[in-house]
Amino acid sequence: MSDPNATNPHSEVVSTPAADELVSLTPAEIGMSGAVILGERQQARRENWRLIRRRPAFIVGVFIVLVWVVCAVFGQSIAPHHAFDEYTTGHLSPRAGYPFGTDEIGRDVLSRVIVGARDVLKVAPLGALLGVLLGVLLGMVMGYLGGWIDLVLSRIVEAFLALPVVLVALLAIATLGSGTWVVISVVAALFTPIVARTVRAAVIAERDLDYVTSAKLRGESSGFIMFREILPNVMGPIIVELTVRIGYAVFVVATLAFLGAGPQAPSPDWGRQVSDAYNSISAGIWWTTVFPAAAIASLVIAVNLIADSVQSVLEGS
Amino acid sequence: MSPEVVPSSIATANAAALAVEVLEVVYTVRGIDRAVLRGVSFQVAPGEAYGLVGESGCGKSTTAYAAMRYLPRNGKIVGGHVLVNGNDVTGMSTDELRRFRARDASMVYQDPAQAMNPSVRIGNQLIESFTLLGQTKEQGAKSAVEALRRVRIADPERVMDRYPFQLSGGMQQRVVIAMALACDPKLLVLDEPTTGLDATVEAEVLDLVRVLREETNAAVLLIAHNLGIIRSLCDRVGVMYAGRIVEEGPSRQVFDDPQHPYTVGLLRSLPRKGVRKQERPLATIPGILPLIGGDLPTCVFLDRCPLADDLCRTQVPPVVPVGSEGNRFTRCHHVDRIPELVEAPPDVPIGILAPSAANPEVLELTHVSKTFRQRSISIPALVDVDLQLAEGETLGIVGESGSGKSTLAKAILGIESADEGSNVSLDGRQMSASTTSRSTADKRAMQMVFQNPDSALNRSWTVRRILMRTVEKLTGVKGTEANAKVEALAAHLRLTPRHLDLKPRQLSGGLKQRVAIARAFAGDPRIVVCDEPTSALDVSVQAAILNLLADLQAEERTSYVFITHDMGVVRYLADRIAVMYLGRIQEVGPTDDVFNGPNHPYTEALLSAIPSVDGEPTTRIRLQGEIPSPANPPSGCVFHPRCPRAIAGVCEVTEPPLAQVAPGHFMRCHIPIDELATMQRSTAAEAR
Repeated sequence: MSDPNATNPHSEVVSTPAADELVSLTPAEIGMSGAVILGERQQARRENWRLIRRRPAFIVGVFIVLVWVVCAVFGQSIAPHHAFDEYTTGHLSPRAGYPFGTDEIGRDVLSRVIVGARDVLKVAPLGALLGVLLGVLLGMVMGYLGGWIDLVLSRIVEAFLALPVVLVALLAIATLGSGTWVVISVVAALFTPIVARTVRAAVIAERDLDYVTSAKLRGESSGFIMFREILPNVMGPIIVELTVRIGYAVFVVATLAFLGAGPQAPSPDWGRQVSDAYNSISAGIWWTTVFPAAAIASLVIAVNLIADSVQSVLEGS
Repeated sequence: MSPEVVPSSIATANAAALAVEVLEVVYTVRGIDRAVLRGVSFQVAPGEAYGLVGESGCGKSTTAYAAMRYLPRNGKIVGGHVLVNGNDVTGMSTDELRRFRARDASMVYQDPAQAMNPSVRIGNQLIESFTLLGQTKEQGAKSAVEALRRVRIADPERVMDRYPFQLSGGMQQRVVIAMALACDPKLLVLDEPTTGLDATVEAEVLDLVRVLREETNAAVLLIAHNLGIIRSLCDRVGVMYAGRIVEEGPSRQVFDDPQHPYTVGLLRSLPRKGVRKQERPLATIPGILPLIGGDLPTCVFLDRCPLADDLCRTQVPPVVPVGSEGNRFTRCHHVDRIPELVEAPPDVPIGILAPSAANPEVLELTHVSKTFRQRSISIPALVDVDLQLAEGETLGIVGESGSGKSTLAKAILGIESADEGSNVSLDGRQMSASTTSRSTADKRAMQMVFQNPDSALNRSWTVRRILMRTVEKLTGVKGTEANAKVEALAAHLRLTPRHLDLKPRQLSGGLKQRVAIARAFAGDPRIVVCDEPTSALDVSVQAAILNLLADLQAEERTSYVFITHDMGVVRYLADRIAVMYLGRIQEVGPTDDVFNGPNHPYTEALLSAIPSVDGEPTTRIRLQGEIPSPANPPSGCVFHPRCPRAIAGVCEVTEPPLAQVAPGHFMRCHIPIDELATMQRSTAAEAR
C-alpha cells in the first residue's frame, strides 16, 4: 500500500458544497430518498429473495419437482424393475418388492410411474413456455398498439376463452392426430389468450409512463419500445404467469393423455396409466390408478407451491 | 439519544389541547427498529394553529399520525406521551382509542377522494358521522345540512344527494372537513390538506380552515411542505429535521428571522422576494437527509451544516431560547453565528444570457389548436395559441389544471398532433404535427424534461444505457465515441461515473431528475420543454435543479418552455410568462410586467391566491365557482363567470382579442389597461 489516500475510507462520502445533493450514495442511503417507507421497499424486495428460499412451501415444491426431474432424466436406470416387463400374472396389491403393486398384466407400477415422469415433464413445460411466448407477443401488441387492433384481438381472445377446454382439445386431437407436438400446441393454444390478457393489462399500465414518451421523442420504433423498453418492466407478471401455467400444463397434459392424446399404450405416461386402469377401481384394484394420479397431483401441487412463492415475491405478498 | 425536556412555551401540558412529550417512534423494517422520531415535544393550545415543516422524510407526517395513534402497522411509539385534552393517547385501550377518535380528534388527509366511500352518497356519509355520536337518523340529517353550511357549501341539500366523484376536488375537501368537524373535535390534524388542489381552490380551502378555527376553538396541527401555507395559517411553527424539532416559535418570527442553520438553508433555497436567475443562483443545502434509524448521537443536522465543528460532533446541542418572550427556541451550539449564514454572499451569479430582441427566434406557434374527441363530444384543449420563443429564452407557462399547459407542451413536441391549420415552426420552417413523422434533426432539436423522474426513466435500464441510447439515436455517433459523449455529458451535469452504472431506483429524487435532464440535453437540443420538473422534489433539491437549468441555458443558449404552477419558480427562471386559462392564452409578457401589473384579472387572482412565506400584504381576490369544463366553455371571455372585474353586457358576449398593452405585453381583456391599473392599485391599497 504505497499511497495511503487510495484507500481512505472516507473518500466516498466527502461532501463538497458544489456537488450539492449528489454527494453520497452508499447502499444504505440509497433507500432514503423521498418518502421513508417507499424507499425502504426497494431494499425489502432484495431481502425477499433471500426470504423466499427459506419458505417451507418453496422448499417443499422445489424438492418434489426435483424428485420428478431426477426420475424423468434417469428413468429406467433408477427404476427397481423394467417398466414394460411382465413380472406377475395379473394384479398384485402393494407389497415388498412391488411397493406400488403390479398392474393387470403384471408390470411394476412404481417403475412405470418413475419412467412415466419423462413424458409429462417434457411436454408440460414446453407447452406452457410456448403458450407464454405467444401470449406475451399477443398481449404486447394489444396493450401497446391499442385502438382497433386491441379491440379486434380482445374480442377474439374472449371468444376463445369462452370455449370449453376439453372440447377444444378433443377437436384438435381428432383433426390433427395425437402426436406429442399436437399436445404441446394444444396446451400453448389454450394458454396464449390467458397470458395475453395478463400481459396486456401490465403493458397498458406501462404504456402511458413518460419513459415511453421519451423513447418516442428520440424516434424509437414500436418494436423497440415494446420489447426493449417495456418488456423488461413487465417480466414480473410474465414469470409468475409462466410458473402458474406450468402447473396447469401438467394437468392439461395428463387430461389429454387420459382422453387418448399423446403417448399411446403401452407408454407408462401418467395420464395414460390412469386412463388404462381406472375401469378396475370398481373391482377394488385401486393402486393402478391412485399411484399415477397421485404423481400427477404431487407435481401440480409442487409447481403451484413454487408459483405461489414466486408470485408473492414478485408482486409483494 | 438522550431524552430532554423542552421548555413548555405557551401552556402547561394540562391546559394544552395537544401536548406531545418527548415522543419517540420507530418503524420496524425487516425486524430492526429504526428511529423516526427522536424525542419530539410541542404543545398546541385550544384555538391555536401549529404547523410542522420540513422536507420529506423528516417525520412530520409520522408525528401527525402518532398524535392520532394512526401509525402504520410497523410503526410503534417507544417513548414519550401524546396528551389530547389531558388524556394520554399513548396508553389508551382499543375501546378508549375508538371513542377518542370519534369524539375528541379528527384528521383530514391530502387526498379527499380517498377519505370518502365512493359508492355512498355524501349525505349518508355525513349522517353516519353524526349517528355514530348517538344522534338519530333525523337529527343526523339536520346536522349534516348544518355541517355543509358551516363549510360554506351553498346548496347543501343538493350536495347531500351527490356521490363523491360528482364533486370537484375543492368541494370534496370541504365535505371531508365537514365530516372531521362533526364531533366538534378538540384537535384537528390536517396533513397536506391542499396539496392536490389548484391555487385558487387552495386559497378558498385555507380561508375556510382559518374561519373554522376561530368558530370551533379547536387546536389545529397542520402539516405542509409549503412554507407559505404554514405562515398564512399558523400561529406557531416547528421546523423538523430527521425526527426532531430543531427550531420552534411564532411562524412570522421563525420565517423572518430563522435561528437554526436548517431553517436558514430551507428559506434560502426558496425562490422568493422576486429574485431572478440573473441576480443570483439559489442557495442549496449540501448532502442528503440521514437514513431513518441512522445513528445521530449529537446534532441531527450535523452532516449538512456549514457551521458544524468539533463541539457539534461531540455534544448534543442545547435548547437555546430565542428572544425574551420565552416562546421561541432553537437547538444549536452556534446561535451566535447564524447571521453569518443569513448574510452569506450567494455564489457568483452565472453569466445569464440577457434575452433581447436581437436573439433570433427559434420556435413560433401560430394558430395552434388541439381538440380531443370523446365519443361525439369535442373538447377544445388548446384554442388558437400564438407564441414565440427566442434563442436562450425561457418562456414560463402558468395556469391551473385543465388550462392546457401540458397539452401545449405535447403539441409543440408532436406527442399529440395539433389540429389541422396549426403551425409549429422551428427556425421559420413548419414542422410536421406528429413526432413520428418529424426528421431526426427536428427530433434532436426539441426534447423534454418530465415532472416525475420515476416515470420518465426506464427502471430496468442503467443510467449509462439511457444516455447512450439517446446519444446514439439523436446524434448518430456509436460505440466508444458515444460512450465518451455520455461520460462528458454526465460530468457536465455533475453526475459521477459511478452513477452511470446504477439504475434509477438507486438514485435520489434529485439525481434522477439530473439524469432526465442529461437525457434531454444528450442531442444538444435547441429547445427543452420542462413540464413541472421540480414539483416532485424537496425545496433544497429544487434549488439545485433550477440552478442547473439556468447554468445549462447560459452555456448552451438553449431555449426553455417551462411549465409550472409555482409562481416563485417561474418568476425566478422565466424571461417571459404566458398565463393560460381553458386552453387560451390570457396574458403573455415579460416576467416583471406580468408580476408587477397591471395584469390580467385572472393573473391577478392567481398571484393573490398564493400564500407567501414572506407574508407581504397580498391582495385577496377570491374567485367564485369552479374552473369550467373545457368541453363546454363559457360564452364571450371564458374567464367572465369567475372574473371579479367582469363588465356586464360585454364580457359574456364577445371574447376579447389578445391585444398588446405594452411593448411585448399582450392581454386578453375588455378593460382598458389604464383602467385596470387604477382598479388594481385601489385593490392593493384596500388590502393594506
